[in-house]
Amino acid sequence: MRAPINPFFARSSFAAGRLVRLLCVGFVGHVLLASALARAQAAPPAGHEEEAFDLMNLLSHHGLHNIEMESWNLYGQFTYISSWKLPFQAPYTNANGSINSLVPDYERSFTGTFTLFFGLKLWPGGEAYFVPEVISERGLSQIRGLGASIQNFELQKSGSETPQLYRARLFLRQTFGFGGNDVVKTSDPMQLGTVVKSRRLVLTAGNYTFLDVFDRNNVTWDPRQTFFNMAFMTHSSWDFAADARGYSWGGAIELYWDDWALRFGRMASPQHPNTLPLDLRLWKYYGDALELEHVHVLFGQPGAVRILGYRNYEVTGRFDEAIAAYQADPKQNAGACTSFNYGSGNFSAPDLCWVRKPNQKLGIGINVEQFVAKNVGVFFRGMYSDGKTEVDAYDPADRSLSVGAVAKGALWKRPFDVTGVGFGMAWISKVHAHYLAMGGIDGFIGDGNLRQGAEGVFELFYSVNLLTAIWLAADYQFLWGPGFNTDRGPINIIGAKVHAEF
Amino acid sequence: MLSSSRHAFASVILLALSARAQAQQQVQGFAVERFYSSAPGAGWFAMDTLDMHGRLGGALSLTVGYARNPMRVTDGSQRFAVVSDQAITAIGAALTYNRWRIYLNFDAPFAIKGQSGTAGGYSFTGPSVDLESNPDTLSDPRLGVDVRIIGGPTSLFRLGAGAQLIFPNGNRSDYDTDGTYRGMVRLLFAGDEGLFTYAGQLGVHLRPLDDSPAPESPRGRELLFGVAAGAKLPVGRSGSLAVIVGPEVFGATAFQSFFGSNSTALEGLLTARLEGTAENRAQLRVKLGAGAGINQQFGAPEWRIVCGIEVFNHNQVQ
Repeated sequence: MRAPINPFFARSSFAAGRLVRLLCVGFVGHVLLASALARAQAAPPAGHEEEAFDLMNLLSHHGLHNIEMESWNLYGQFTYISSWKLPFQAPYTNANGSINSLVPDYERSFTGTFTLFFGLKLWPGGEAYFVPEVISERGLSQIRGLGASIQNFELQKSGSETPQLYRARLFLRQTFGFGGNDVVKTSDPMQLGTVVKSRRLVLTAGNYTFLDVFDRNNVTWDPRQTFFNMAFMTHSSWDFAADARGYSWGGAIELYWDDWALRFGRMASPQHPNTLPLDLRLWKYYGDALELEHVHVLFGQPGAVRILGYRNYEVTGRFDEAIAAYQADPKQNAGACTSFNYGSGNFSAPDLCWVRKPNQKLGIGINVEQFVAKNVGVFFRGMYSDGKTEVDAYDPADRSLSVGAVAKGALWKRPFDVTGVGFGMAWISKVHAHYLAMGGIDGFIGDGNLRQGAEGVFELFYSVNLLTAIWLAADYQFLWGPGFNTDRGPINIIGAKVHAEF
Repeated sequence: MLSSSRHAFASVILLALSARAQAQQQVQGFAVERFYSSAPGAGWFAMDTLDMHGRLGGALSLTVGYARNPMRVTDGSQRFAVVSDQAITAIGAALTYNRWRIYLNFDAPFAIKGQSGTAGGYSFTGPSVDLESNPDTLSDPRLGVDVRIIGGPTSLFRLGAGAQLIFPNGNRSDYDTDGTYRGMVRLLFAGDEGLFTYAGQLGVHLRPLDDSPAPESPRGRELLFGVAAGAKLPVGRSGSLAVIVGPEVFGATAFQSFFGSNSTALEGLLTARLEGTAENRAQLRVKLGAGAGINQQFGAPEWRIVCGIEVFNHNQVQ
């Protein structure tokens, strides 16, 4: 039997028998979707508590819906996050015509998202999911100046204050059972209530995000319920293939064998770095990911270890080649770009626009989660990427780690409250720093000058539950080294969140 | 005299510039699609069976369609398809209770292509929407409610009403939105007698956009009309499946130019669907339709093919 994974997701049943069954057998069911996933642009949903006021529970309690063996389901969520950045010290901002500094003045940022999650059973083992979403947003300094520690995971690179409706996900999933024990999958957003085998093959294809399948973490689980900062959503230095919203087209294959799981996936990369249009020639340009997972029970508490490796083959620029091109011919500078570029006006800096061609990017990371008590979990993520090429889809970090703890409020008789504390660090490679120090910019950072250092964040939040379906959260973030530049900062950011599920 | 000649010359130049300016008047685009797929679970492609019944039930649907040349313009000398290829996936969900239905429909265009050109003094820019450049586009979603007012779910004559609110989303230049809120109010009718089944609608499309006199463009409010009829044939001895075969004819005309040939779209589809007939559990419906524009104006294509799959459930009894 696959070990239980995430006590946070237990549908705390009114019936003790069901609760025991869920705790002992069913948590693997949550792993597929009700886990950490998301990304700055692609936050996945959390599992729903049985006491929660949502449509599926309502229908089920009135005998109108079989929530355990579903033919369809529908969930929704609303999240509004507001962040206030206090003024900070910076000896220079956007030096020499560069454009990617975080502005040192007071700023307010916000995001508002509204999402519907449709699920439909097509045939035995076959499921289809459709997720439309509306977003309205305003980033700090137009989402410039922060590398790995963007203060709000919901921010999208292509967003605007005018609400935009888009299709976040449209994908098929097929499960083939190979025996083993029964694993109960409870009804959740992007998960039909059903029973699968602990030994199974799962195929996913269509429009979704890498984070729907890879690098889950049941302690940090759904960012809409936990940390605000992007540093805790996935490996900051995993430049996973995606469009400017965080989604893409592709496929994944997962083999579950009791306590083990092996996954491989390929997704389409953007036509130009950090833009919305995708290059769907998956045989030519792509992002690949390979993950090995083992779940365990340690001192009676569930945990998991995941090793993730990735390889991207995309049209990007290498930092060393951009520097060499500029040194060989100063006319090939950032201000004189004629092909795709980020708009720098620095005529004395190198730019990646001159050297973009098919390049590979490699990285490997580890993701550990461990519950230390029934409602308290700790997590650790660390990843090392080669740091030779620019950010293509996620953020500019080349190395990253994050560690923290999340607790539910059962200890103080507020079972749906959530609190957490986290610490994240990220670095860039030496050649990346050299490029930035010369005044170069990439998708999000580049102050025109640089004193290389780590970018870090410390975050503390508390989320109060109201009426089982609404959460109000307060958040504090302390950031240093914005844009991997120790000349600037530190920065204090205060945040607030309203989140509702139905 | 010289001064007078100069004035005349200047006037000619101004007139020419004015004419040129008019010739270059750019059409901004609009929602060219006039095939409004029916509510999820409604049976037909465009019409509505009005058979809502039972306790709380619902439907989820996926419809994929392709239309060839749904918008062609001509000024006598030139003729080109501003929208030559239009492929759209429609995804919808509905909840039904007794005689009521509420539903939400999303159109996800995955290809809208066309040609650019000038006709009738207007400049058209063909859209270029595909999955690569627009990987996540959803155009105007529709929120609707229908109710059967007269008749039972299987009676000979059923009369109902429906209303839809259409939310603007997307870019007008993609020819998949008007960029304004729209609405529809419809009178619906349907019935069954033995193997014969029929349905129809008459309604008003509340459309603020009026781009007249640009050819093929919206002219404000439109009358919606349509009728469908067919044979409902049980499959197998158990009768747990049925095949319904029959045509659907539907269209729209602008009130401003009522049934004018250039402002009336009329289209026919030959449809067939296979569906489960059991109550109290989820049933599958698979639909296929193919047809052509009868009056190929105002959004009616040269030809169209559509297919759909639905899961629906009427909770007849507890």
